[in-house]
Amino acid sequence: MIGRSVHKLPATFIMVASIGAITMNPPRAQDTQSAQAQRVIAQGKDIFKTKATCQFCHKWDASGDQGYGGNAASLRATKLSPAQVAETIKCGRPGTGMPYHDRFAYTDKRCYGVTREQLGNAMPPEPNAFLNEDEISAVVKYVFATDVGRGPSTYQDCVEFWGTETRQCEPMKPH
Amino acid sequence: MRKLSSAIALMAPLLIAGAPTPSRAADMTFERALNTSKEPQNWLLYYGNYQGYRFSPLTAINSETVKNLKPVFTVALGGLQSGGRYAFGNLEGTPLVEDGIMYATDGWGSVYAIDVSSGTRGVIKWKFDPGIDRAWAGDVACCGVNNRGVALWKDKVISIALDGRMFELNKATGEKVWERKIADPALGETITMAPLVVRDLAILGPAGGEFGIRGFIDATDLNTGKQAWRTYTIPGPGEPGHDTWKDGEEHWKHGGAPVWETATYDPETDTIYQGIGNAGADWDPQYRPGDNKWAASVLALNPADGKIKWGFQYTPNDPFDFDEISEHPIIDAKVDGKERKLVVHAARNGFFYALDRTDGAFVAGKQYVDKLNWTTGLDPETGLPANYDPKADVQVYAAGSHGMRGQPMATVCPSHFGAKNWEPTAYNPNLKMLYIPSIEGCDGLQTVAQKDFVDQGGPLKPRDRFSGGSFKMTGRLYGSLKAIDPTTGDIKAAVRLDFPNYAGALATAGNLVFLGQADGNFTAYDAKTLKQVWNFNVGTGINAPPISFAVNGKQYIAVLAGSRQSPFVMQSDPSLKFSSTTSMLFVFGL
Repeated sequence: MIGRSVHKLPATFIMVASIGAITMNPPRAQDTQSAQAQRVIAQGKDIFKTKATCQFCHKWDASGDQGYGGNAASLRATKLSPAQVAETIKCGRPGTGMPYHDRFAYTDKRCYGVTREQLGNAMPPEPNAFLNEDEISAVVKYVFATDVGRGPSTYQDCVEFWGTETRQCEPMKPH
Repeated sequence: MRKLSSAIALMAPLLIAGAPTPSRAADMTFERALNTSKEPQNWLLYYGNYQGYRFSPLTAINSETVKNLKPVFTVALGGLQSGGRYAFGNLEGTPLVEDGIMYATDGWGSVYAIDVSSGTRGVIKWKFDPGIDRAWAGDVACCGVNNRGVALWKDKVISIALDGRMFELNKATGEKVWERKIADPALGETITMAPLVVRDLAILGPAGGEFGIRGFIDATDLNTGKQAWRTYTIPGPGEPGHDTWKDGEEHWKHGGAPVWETATYDPETDTIYQGIGNAGADWDPQYRPGDNKWAASVLALNPADGKIKWGFQYTPNDPFDFDEISEHPIIDAKVDGKERKLVVHAARNGFFYALDRTDGAFVAGKQYVDKLNWTTGLDPETGLPANYDPKADVQVYAAGSHGMRGQPMATVCPSHFGAKNWEPTAYNPNLKMLYIPSIEGCDGLQTVAQKDFVDQGGPLKPRDRFSGGSFKMTGRLYGSLKAIDPTTGDIKAAVRLDFPNYAGALATAGNLVFLGQADGNFTAYDAKTLKQVWNFNVGTGINAPPISFAVNGKQYIAVLAGSRQSPFVMQSDPSLKFSSTTSMLFVFGL
């Protein structure tokens, strides 16, 4: 039974992960958002940067990476919709290094219709921090406002992420 | 039991050896460093002695009395701030203790001088904060924000920071005398190791094997604060071993071979034994055809000038990330009826090695990890992996045990984290047993063809990750503690542990072995049977090795506690998913 369910998983998962979403090319969100929307994006940034440390694997500019963060996808190049990114954050990606962040994921069938027992070794890793629905929504808003659909990051992007009190962006500074 | 009692009787003078706390500690001299056994109340060197034993001759806490061991005080430290890719710093340090004053570090390199002489409270006398640009340094720390400790020299404390600086501090006040930049985060270099001080030189090296550095071992003259010598761990053109980088595109310049654990030192031959880390890019051996010396090796060097006396490479053309930075204890022992001068190593690749420390000749080797699939054994003459092909530029170890370009994910046992990572062994010279805290299990490796750095015509910028692929957990890792005969590698006792080891061991003349674990258990084992004889849970993960010291005649055990393992390590270990980190010193006494 377990084997059969796991076998079924990829089809379910691939369907979710590969539906071509409408290409998102939002305007610079900070220019047009209300104060409340900006606060939500700032909260999403804090989660991306520190609380859940998404940047450990995906890099600060969400361009993806390899090595000790696993082969992490680029969110700048993703074709996923906001709802699909939210589901990936909530449930992780079974069989990969992408952690789940809903603390009840796989305790019931809310994620891809499977449980931890059914997933076995394909169970996604535990996260750095569990996130509630509002927090997941904030991260999604942040990455769509800042990263998704954008080309290579710039010096200005770097300063916006890290601030000016660090040398972090010096290597990107235009000469 | 009778034997133990008589041993304790013989050691009775040591029970009262704790010196009263002087108002001003004596200068830390080379003479004192050579003779740490004369000061059993102090823990003066990173490993307790130059030989790398992590052994305390104190016996008041022993297999009979340990049942009465209890926490006597704790001290909250700092260093929990986020920085770069990390949400917090870890505690991996080994505190030093000199005459009732403890010198401990947190992950961001703050040094705490803690008066522990009362036995009831730790009072922080001073704290030195190096003021790291945390984003800058933390973004190129491969695997955590770590600092493994300080060294003492004359009336100074020698400390390091993740951002590559070394500091000379006034031991009495913590005031900085000078600092020297040794490693450069602009190149992906960081420093996490405790300095080794031999005479007036402090010896260090950089981490950064996952960021395309070229490793080195560097000595600072502590009298001047200036460099005394630097020896690159990857030989340059014309140097022996340079021809083991055969790509023809100068990939040796970014070939890794980092240094991030303290060397051992043999005063008899005046030689340091430095473990050397992995080749880069980690998981794309086709990027760097050749044996890639001196990655995944041990180097024997003259501490006065850094000249290499000999080297021994454990895993040529390493496709696994089998760093061999960890300790190389120095042991004199009879092997096959003949007295041998050995340097030994519980390697990340899963084998225990005994080498002749005068010339690097292979003496003995044996698998110590439960499961090993990448080779069938070691060549009894050379000590090289049995399936090593000297004619091949790119080694193909056991099929499916490592990644190759275009191949599906491979499974390696032990996992790429190693059979033993940095967490140090302990050696009991009375029982002649080496205690290995190991990581058991397997994981997956996937090769991705490595791109070049900009200086070699590629798109990678300095500080970019340079790993040639990635790893994936394929099941739960667990741990074990094994007692082995260091002349043969024969396992004499073993205990299985629920969690992989990331802390390190302490052996004591009280016939005990202490070890902390990821679930907060701090445990004492009988040194002969490895039967658990005592346990206390500190409530947060332990990633640091314990030490023992005495003040006013009373023996203590101390350990830094505060870690939360990475999601990768804890995958499939849901019992720890709500655990929190903290930053605490725990001190135990009878």
